[in-house]
Amino acid sequence: MNNRFSIKFGGESGQGINTLGKLLSKAIKDSGYKIFAYREYPSLIRGGVASYQIDFSNKEICSSTRSSQILAVLDEDSLHEYIKTISPNGLLIYDDKDVAFTVEEDTFISENNISKIYLDTKQIAIQAGGDEIMSNVAMLAFIWKTVDLDLNTLQKTVLEYFAKKDVDLKKEEAVLKAGFNTPTYRPEFKQELPSKSIFPTKTIIMSGNDGISLGLISGGVRAYYAYPMTPATSILKYLGTTYKETGILIKQAENEITAAQLALGSMSMGTRAVTATSGGGFDLMLESISCAGISETPFVVILSQRAGAGTGVPTWTGAGDLYTAVKGGHGEFPRCVISLSNAEDSYTLIQSALNIADQYQLPVIVLTEKQISESLFSLNKLPKVLPIERGIKEEKENRYEITENGISSRWIPNENSKPYISTSDEHIEDGTSTENSQEILKMTEKRSRKMETLKDNLPEPTYYGNSQAKKIFVGWGSSKNVILDIINNTDTNIGYLHYEYIYPLKTEKLEELINNDKELVLIESNQTGELGKLIKEETGYEFKEKLLKFDGRPFFVEDILDFLK
Amino acid sequence: MSVNITEYNSKNKPTWCPGCGNFAIHTALKKALSELDISPSQAYISFDIGCNGNGADKINIYGFKGLHGRAIPLAIGAHLANRKYTVFADIGDGGCLHEGLDHLLHAIRANYNITILIHNNQNFALTTGQATATTQQGKEMYGLPDGKPERDINIGDLVLTMNPSFYAKAYSGDPLQLSEILKKAVTHKGCSVIEIMQICPTYNRECTPQWFKEHIKVIDKTANTIENARTFVKTEDETIYTGIIYQNTTIPTFYDRLENRKDIPTELVDEVKNYDISKLLKNFE
Repeated sequence: MNNRFSIKFGGESGQGINTLGKLLSKAIKDSGYKIFAYREYPSLIRGGVASYQIDFSNKEICSSTRSSQILAVLDEDSLHEYIKTISPNGLLIYDDKDVAFTVEEDTFISENNISKIYLDTKQIAIQAGGDEIMSNVAMLAFIWKTVDLDLNTLQKTVLEYFAKKDVDLKKEEAVLKAGFNTPTYRPEFKQELPSKSIFPTKTIIMSGNDGISLGLISGGVRAYYAYPMTPATSILKYLGTTYKETGILIKQAENEITAAQLALGSMSMGTRAVTATSGGGFDLMLESISCAGISETPFVVILSQRAGAGTGVPTWTGAGDLYTAVKGGHGEFPRCVISLSNAEDSYTLIQSALNIADQYQLPVIVLTEKQISESLFSLNKLPKVLPIERGIKEEKENRYEITENGISSRWIPNENSKPYISTSDEHIEDGTSTENSQEILKMTEKRSRKMETLKDNLPEPTYYGNSQAKKIFVGWGSSKNVILDIINNTDTNIGYLHYEYIYPLKTEKLEELINNDKELVLIESNQTGELGKLIKEETGYEFKEKLLKFDGRPFFVEDILDFLK
Repeated sequence: MSVNITEYNSKNKPTWCPGCGNFAIHTALKKALSELDISPSQAYISFDIGCNGNGADKINIYGFKGLHGRAIPLAIGAHLANRKYTVFADIGDGGCLHEGLDHLLHAIRANYNITILIHNNQNFALTTGQATATTQQGKEMYGLPDGKPERDINIGDLVLTMNPSFYAKAYSGDPLQLSEILKKAVTHKGCSVIEIMQICPTYNRECTPQWFKEHIKVIDKTANTIENARTFVKTEDETIYTGIIYQNTTIPTFYDRLENRKDIPTELVDEVKNYDISKLLKNFE
């Protein structure tokens, strides 16, 4: 894995490590590398321990290593939290001279030949004529020096950023140069970086939630309804801050039930509306999702998962809501469950979700994770926009006409058309409520035929890696990223079968692997292997090997390498 | 030319108890739509679950029979998608004051341009007579031999507290008045709340048509302040004042306050197409 490098910032929430991380991400990207940035932070506004880690490489990467070559900390707590993640021969940079190292930490530092660098960033900032608040910039510049990249690239990024703020750019520039040129630097600090990428530097960096937001805009969503809940909230922020450019109607609802009902009402009237939430909010929406199912109203909800039941660990990652998405909600009704893995497929699959909801007139649940929602991915460009497919058909005698493929005609209300009632009551073809046994059977069977039609039209899971590989991981969501990093950047001979479309479950490709006696390993960010359970239910196959992680952290590269040892 | 009132009839026969207030409420609604020349294809109504919701397939206009307590946000979603539609939320005192009380308060606060009909029959009738926040104190109800142990919610007082733009009170035994109120509510630009005292001959036998006749007083003039309006809803005796209790036409609607929609003439339903994001993408470079 020596074609990748990692820098981690540690500090309290509120000390500005996000800004540091974003600036460094951009400057590294502009220097010709592919980056992946990962954040850890507590569920509070001030204090606690937070980190921002930037991994970069000359090849595509989309996950983090557990260890970093450089750790730069802005407070003592984060030093103690993260010191053991510094790689041998790495750097520890800290700006608080009163930091007390434990004996154990001192031993770790000397045994691993780590350079312990006290950087008086405040002093550097003030001596350069800047203000104390600019000391983070001195830190940034010093790091830049240790990796020996072109100062102009960093300077451009930093000054462009501060040009939007009310600060003295001359002072920022002076502090930046002072940090870069400080006599604290010694030649032995210099870090060996991987060679630069041959990719054009004009790549883009965005989070998974940015990808979703842009997909919603591209895909013709005209109303966004949501109640704040980490890690889905940043979709509201992006769509809100761009609402003048897009004209999208934004409504922060009084709760998740309202958000779901607003979306349902807007969809029934014929526009495209969406809501997003995390586990707790999703639970509140389940009755509405069931209602969308029986009333055959298109509905799209993004479920950005975090770790744990109840409130759990709100700002940490996990993928324990697959079962809720597939099985949640009362009664039996058709639905589709899709899983995102990165910014790029977030953009495309959310558009696909909108098309499926419209065409099949059912609820679509789009699963993402904190690890995808809030991490930064670099990509050359976004994929092509998907053409909008609404599946809206001509007006018929009956809205809920019994059809062979299970899909009835649905027309958008307009003043020249025949009115109809959408209903959560069991109903006959014209929407009249019914309790008649034959009529109940006819309509429920019609709806379930939609699932067969949908299943026939969904793609099989995607296979990555050498087709001859013996050991093949099977997973969904962010698990894909870490496995792809292993496949693309090491000579480990493994394969990976990735489920984008989770439900209805496609099993042909998987069964082919089972029949070919491959060593299948289930990989999931949850405790019970939820995809594995679903696969067992549908195929009878039980995974003998499982790699499950559920401590709020994503899979790191080392987790997979250790597993393969 | 008004729309013929029979055009709003569905093929289905009502299933309410003989003497139920819902018959007259439906008639009043159809009459108002007809006189406002709003065709069956130009109106949308979201029904709650309850006896009122059993009227969902008994009227021929666009609509959605959704979930208990949720008629209001469902209607709002439909309204925001296409403001050319006249949108109603139809809900009982149970669904409105219990399961979905939050929605009523936030709808008034946002002042969406919809009309909310609260059927106040003073009980959960469809589940055979449980107490609601408007059930009389001390009255034996389902599972409550000594009556409900909570105090009441006075709908009018609650609505007025939220500084509404339109609040009216009507009575199912006076469909002509209700129809006139409905017309005013539909033409009012904002969130119109109409509380309808509804006869329930099965579970609210105390409030007979005769009882209502003795207690109802039609107000002469709409109050010009919240304070004055309050005198119509908080009475010392049991008098029920009906009519348009309060109206304020100066409060902007939710949609009118959306800065990004100000110069857009189209409705959200007209705007579903692929959008070019290349400009937005520049910020990610």
